[in-house]
Amino acid sequence: MKPSDQHHRARVDTPQPATSQVVELTPNEDAALVNRRRFLEAAGFAVGAAVVTGCSRVPVDHAQPYVEQPDGARPGRMRYFATTCAGCSAGCGLSVGVRDGRPLKMEGLADHPLSRGGLCAVGQAIPLELYDSHRLTGPQIDGQDATWEKVDAQIVAKLKEVNETGRAVRLVTPTVTSPTLQRMIDRLLGEYKDAKHVVFDPNSCSAILDAHEQTHGVRVLPRYQFEQADVVVSLGADFLGAWISPVEMTASWSRRRVPDKTMLYHVQIESRVSVTGSNADRRLRLCDEDQALLLSHLATRIGKLTGKLIPAVDLAVAPIDEAQLDELVQRLVNAKSRSLVLCDSNDATTQLLVNQINHLLGNYDHTIDLSRHSRQRQGSDADVYALVEELKAGKVAVLLVAGVDLTHSLPQRDTLIAAIAKVPLVVSLATHKNDFAALAGYVCPDSHALETWSDVEAVNGLVGICQPTLRPLGNTRSVLESLAAWSGKPQDSLALVKETWTEGIFKRQKTEANFQKFWDQTLITGFAEVDPLLIEPKEFDASAVKPANKTASGDGYSVALYSKVGVPDPRHAQNPWLQELPDPVTKVTWDNYVSVSPDTAEAEDLSPGDVVQLTVDEVTLELPVHVQPGQHDQVLAVALHYGCPGTDRFAGVGPQWFEGRTTVGENGRVGVNAAELLTLDEHGLRYVRGGATLKSTGKYHVLATTQQHHRIEVPKEVAPHGGLRRDVFQDTTLAEFSKDPHAGKPEVHDFGDKQLWNEDHPKDGHAWGMVIDTNRCTGCSACLIACQSENNVPVVGRDEVRRQREMHWIRIDRYYDGDGDDMTVGHQPMMCHHCDNAPCETVCPMLATVHSEEGLNQMAYNRCVGTRYCANNCPYKVRRFNWFDYPHDDTLKNLALNPDVTVRMRGVMEKCSMCIQRIQDGKIEARRLEQELTDGTIQTACQQTCPANAIMFGDLNDPESAVHAAMNDPRRYSVLEELGIRPTVGYLRQVRNTPPKENERG
Amino acid sequence: MSRRVLIASFEHEQDVLKATDEVRRRGLRIIDVFTPYPVHGIDRAMGLKPSKLTWVCFVCGLVGAVGMLCFQHWANAVSWPIDIGGKPWNSLPAELPVGFEMMVLLAGFGSVFALFAVCRLFPGAKPKNLMPRATDDRFVLVLDQDAAPFDIQQLETLLADHDVVTVEEQVLD
Amino acid sequence: MAERANELRPTLITGDKTLGDVTREICEPMERRPNGLWWAAFGLSSSLLIVGLVAVTYQIATGIGTWGLNKTVGWGFDITNFVFWVGIGHAGTLISAVLFLFRQKWRTSVNRSAEAMTLFAVMCAGIFPLIHMGRPWLAYWMAPYPNTRGSLWINFKSPLVWDFFAISTYFLISAVFWYVGLIPDFATARDRNDGWRKRIYGLLSLGWNGSSRTWHHYETVYLLLAGLATPLVFSVHTIVSMDFATSVIPGWHTTIFPPYFVAGAIFSGLAMVLTLMLIMRKVMSMENYITVTHVESMCKLMLAMGCVVAMAYGTEFFTAFFSGNVYEQFVFKNRAMGPFYWAYWTMVSCNVLGPQLLWFKWARRNLVVVFVITIIVNIGMWFERFVIIVTSLHRDFLPSSWADYTPTTIELATLAGSFGLFFTCFLLFCRVCPVIAMAEVKGVLRIEKPSTADEPATTEERVAEEVLT
Repeated sequence: MKPSDQHHRARVDTPQPATSQVVELTPNEDAALVNRRRFLEAAGFAVGAAVVTGCSRVPVDHAQPYVEQPDGARPGRMRYFATTCAGCSAGCGLSVGVRDGRPLKMEGLADHPLSRGGLCAVGQAIPLELYDSHRLTGPQIDGQDATWEKVDAQIVAKLKEVNETGRAVRLVTPTVTSPTLQRMIDRLLGEYKDAKHVVFDPNSCSAILDAHEQTHGVRVLPRYQFEQADVVVSLGADFLGAWISPVEMTASWSRRRVPDKTMLYHVQIESRVSVTGSNADRRLRLCDEDQALLLSHLATRIGKLTGKLIPAVDLAVAPIDEAQLDELVQRLVNAKSRSLVLCDSNDATTQLLVNQINHLLGNYDHTIDLSRHSRQRQGSDADVYALVEELKAGKVAVLLVAGVDLTHSLPQRDTLIAAIAKVPLVVSLATHKNDFAALAGYVCPDSHALETWSDVEAVNGLVGICQPTLRPLGNTRSVLESLAAWSGKPQDSLALVKETWTEGIFKRQKTEANFQKFWDQTLITGFAEVDPLLIEPKEFDASAVKPANKTASGDGYSVALYSKVGVPDPRHAQNPWLQELPDPVTKVTWDNYVSVSPDTAEAEDLSPGDVVQLTVDEVTLELPVHVQPGQHDQVLAVALHYGCPGTDRFAGVGPQWFEGRTTVGENGRVGVNAAELLTLDEHGLRYVRGGATLKSTGKYHVLATTQQHHRIEVPKEVAPHGGLRRDVFQDTTLAEFSKDPHAGKPEVHDFGDKQLWNEDHPKDGHAWGMVIDTNRCTGCSACLIACQSENNVPVVGRDEVRRQREMHWIRIDRYYDGDGDDMTVGHQPMMCHHCDNAPCETVCPMLATVHSEEGLNQMAYNRCVGTRYCANNCPYKVRRFNWFDYPHDDTLKNLALNPDVTVRMRGVMEKCSMCIQRIQDGKIEARRLEQELTDGTIQTACQQTCPANAIMFGDLNDPESAVHAAMNDPRRYSVLEELGIRPTVGYLRQVRNTPPKENERG
Repeated sequence: MSRRVLIASFEHEQDVLKATDEVRRRGLRIIDVFTPYPVHGIDRAMGLKPSKLTWVCFVCGLVGAVGMLCFQHWANAVSWPIDIGGKPWNSLPAELPVGFEMMVLLAGFGSVFALFAVCRLFPGAKPKNLMPRATDDRFVLVLDQDAAPFDIQQLETLLADHDVVTVEEQVLD
Repeated sequence: MAERANELRPTLITGDKTLGDVTREICEPMERRPNGLWWAAFGLSSSLLIVGLVAVTYQIATGIGTWGLNKTVGWGFDITNFVFWVGIGHAGTLISAVLFLFRQKWRTSVNRSAEAMTLFAVMCAGIFPLIHMGRPWLAYWMAPYPNTRGSLWINFKSPLVWDFFAISTYFLISAVFWYVGLIPDFATARDRNDGWRKRIYGLLSLGWNGSSRTWHHYETVYLLLAGLATPLVFSVHTIVSMDFATSVIPGWHTTIFPPYFVAGAIFSGLAMVLTLMLIMRKVMSMENYITVTHVESMCKLMLAMGCVVAMAYGTEFFTAFFSGNVYEQFVFKNRAMGPFYWAYWTMVSCNVLGPQLLWFKWARRNLVVVFVITIIVNIGMWFERFVIIVTSLHRDFLPSSWADYTPTTIELATLAGSFGLFFTCFLLFCRVCPVIAMAEVKGVLRIEKPSTADEPATTEERVAEEVLT
């Protein structure tokens, strides 16, 4: 459906067409479309298709102009629509850039209470999932295409029988944050005697909810207020990476990273190296199995100090060094009610201890909000376990699954499949033919979130709207509509959502009396703040809490199963952008692997890339080894959500030539599914498992990493005297910094800004520049995908990455410094520095890269013949070369291409342009409105999406601009400025809030 | 007009040198001396002036160097000034290499083509060599018989003194 | 007197040749049918050439990605081969022009084939900058011609542009130099033959008839060309070295490069000339024209150049150490002890240790030893370029972007192909051109005739006198 129409409808309520009409994408069908609305979108698509096919050298089809231009629509200009991101259950505000009827660019929704204008990599990668040629295009019965009428008739009929027999109906979904969807589920299940809605989160936080049920009497996930906290102690919780709501948490965390007295002190106690750990002030290694023990120690000590004595038990010796433990406790107690203790454990007893500590510290109602609680995780592992048991017992007659891949994400797949085979009616509402859908008799594909109406209440009292930005590309139907149809009252999604809002949401607010006004307002802002549903947490009840004394069993390794930033759950496994996203810490693409610590690798005589057999009890996986400095020696970390069905589509991704190798593994898929290592029992789903053994297979599998040397030090054997460390990444400690704002600045000869030749290139107009605050940057890599989406950066496949030929315009350099507990990590986004004295420009024989009057280093793709001299001469190595013609034959996928940016052919050099198209757009718009160009109106894609606001971009000539101020910040340094090339990208030195006594090192 | 010439061939460069010198001093007109390799001193013996081709070379070289420098200056700083790595619009040092190369190129080609022009060398030119062995192992002295003081007897004895190998008369037209 | 003269000037051509002998012995190979040895060599080299052609075709059709390069190492085999071949190409002109000016008479029997070698080497070199482009079909943009883009000229500040002009000028001038030298010999061939040979050589000899008036201008021009070619030789490799010297990359950004590269070029060139000489001498039985004396003098030159190169290696390290610049110091330490240490030590042992044998007369006069040494030097000089290019690039400023480099089969095939092209051309040259400059050799024969020995006998001397007066 055309966005223009929504705005229209938002004002005058025109009748709503059934959204299950089809729009064929082949442009030549457009002529056949008659009615105005469809003609318009046809025009939109045709224009889009024409533009894109133009790029991808497919014969250009006819483009049709608007006959009657919808109000506000301007051909060739991006229009933004406020909605809510459905990439995960975090519910971040999303602003969808729609151009000529094509949703093109996902952006963070400014001043959204949760995401605050930021968006993560997954959100940025949505366009490829929308224009995905492998999505199911219509309903199927036993693998055969069918019509919705037929499917509905049969399903409804079968449901009726079941109702008579009174056998069990089970509906499985991940966390449902949508009030409307919840209403539909209740409505449908309400009609059956034994019906149950099972909420299964592949990344479950069930234990946190269970723990709160026991301590506070409410089964909710609290909302963590990092902004209120002075001390954050996180046991393994990767809240800056992939835990619950990374963007929201990064946003609030980063606002406390300003290096002054108020700076947050962040301790991460973890087994592997997570994104969060890599940004912590203090990082301690702890085997996950010892979390409970450590928490018990903390609890008792804090209890002592806070006077709220808790029954003393004699605990085993603390798994971390006493001094550190005391220091930690002291810090926490000093920051009473301004501290926060988190844990990623999915074990209720552990979480009970966490609650107790937070209670002792008086953090509830300060840094932990239970009343305006989070609804981002609602899963109950107990229910999932019960379901599996019922399935095995053959009690279930109807199994409806939406939004999760049940068999892929749960252990003991084979028994589960056997059990499911007993179920008479199995319905999958998956968007792709996933593992479970292959078993389902009926597949009723859900529409993409950008194709249908919905709503989101991610946090109690904050309701976001999801508005469609185009008609379903295939003959798909949103889950809402499917459920409505099966419950006997077929309605389209808009009606359903509006119903929920008129009856529910609207009544929960006082400010607006007229619903229509309220609705219109919400469509424009994208969310509405209403009264939270009342819940009364009881007084803290410690009865359930008992100190745990069990330590990690010495025998065998402990496997830690985690989910990566790029592929947080199987729904995104078919997104090439995300698969090729370098992991923020390991920098590995296209694979999962078993991370081992350097010492363990030495002990087991393993080197990176060796394929090992990882065996726990009867389960054995074959995975390549990645050696991870700073990881706990007893821990093996493996990423979940890999080896997904459908990833075989990537076998041929990237260039095909006789020495080229495939992107998929021996199993024909990307990575290996580690779900078999999970354990599901009445206590819930466990992501940690002890007693693992490693066995080398002698096989070898090179991992495709985008970084080959990982340390800030150069190898000792070739290090010159005094040149072991390189000053390209600079950091200091808060203590040092508060003494001297220039702390951390290396001792170098300052040559000033002397020029060999007289300046005859005045930059008196704009002078664009960028400053990146490495203190805020977490390395989350959202900018990288944002840039890829904005600038049509191709996907090259594993083999090319392995050959060090990834095309990303932004490379996030990650440097390790020190080892073990003392290891610190630096993240440094690295893109074209647009040097005023650019070495690349001087050497190009063709004048293909030259300098603009606004200080930009510009590439003229048409002029480039590809001598690669510029790339050789670039000290930052940020230039990217088109080694091949990267495939552009998926015309549907091509709709995600940005028409403002050329698609580069082979043999051409490319690099960051500082989003020149956005700069030009901003300038033109300002001229059109006859306004001065104000700071912040032009945002680069990376800056726009950065959840931590680490990137500042603007006019260096404008003394008011943020970037101008940042350039003069004492923390500011430029990488390799001693070369005299005058880069216009600066960095703000990282300031770590490490206790002063640690400062000797480095 | 046709004229009679006398063609004397020698086996040694010393002989042809002396003979030529002698003949010139006697005031006979030497049409040419054909040798398989450049015989040292023959030009003095024949009384030839130094070649002027050096000047051609010099002028071409000058044109090449100056012309190219000017063109570069014009292209860089006048025709379309482009900011390249913040360097001055026109930087002479960067223009020297190309200027130099063009100088050498034009000078070289200039003098070679001048040579071809002066000596009437061009593809398909009919070689006027009165004795093919002149390009192999004979030194051939060609005299004009119609020239004023021509006494065949004297001449033959003279040539004989210098171990002439063959003497023959020919009419050229 | 004759004896005295002989003591002063050792005979260059042995076997008391008469002028006629020279003509016959040098022209006959062109008139004979080629022997089996030639066919074998030709078969081998032309098949190598075909392999190279296939590789290049595939590469251009598929993309530069078929080479082992990456985002960090943008140049590998391509530019290594380019510099290698350009270097080879230097000895020819050096021998014909520089030795000409220095009146080294022994050059006369080697300069023709040396110049031919120059041409073919420069051809091989020229191919690489062309095919190493991402879009070779647009290579003509390198020329500053008026166009509809502005006119958009080229970047005269770029060393690659200097390179383009230098290499093309060098090729053209060498070609002309070579052809001018050939004209009299073509005439000789023309006058010995009849039928189609006569016609072809007639065409090529431009109606040359050995007239002294022509010789007179001819020698002036030959001198001028020598005078022009000499600075050209030095300028070309200087400019090639500037491709690296003007960059910011540690290990490239070095002021020592111009002399260093020129010395290296001459070094490798001499090695290659010798290699070919020794083969040609055997295959075409020209022992009397290319004598051990010739070989020895070339060995002396090669030794000298080898020492210059060795000194350059040392100086590089010292400068880096002395600069106090950690990046510089790192690069050189990394060359010797980093991942590419093997390449570095191959280079050192081949270029520095190898030639030291030539200090001994017996080694210089032992053709087998010399042949082996020349091969070693050729290998070493190839590795020198590889070391400079790849080891400097693969680990530069930011540790995050360090990468490694391994050539693909396509690259290896292309290198082989360039050798194929080189030898194929050379073998054809041996068949159709007088491989030894007859006119010049005749000039230095000095067939003695009693009472006339004190006459200065050679072209060069007279010409030199002209220069002086």
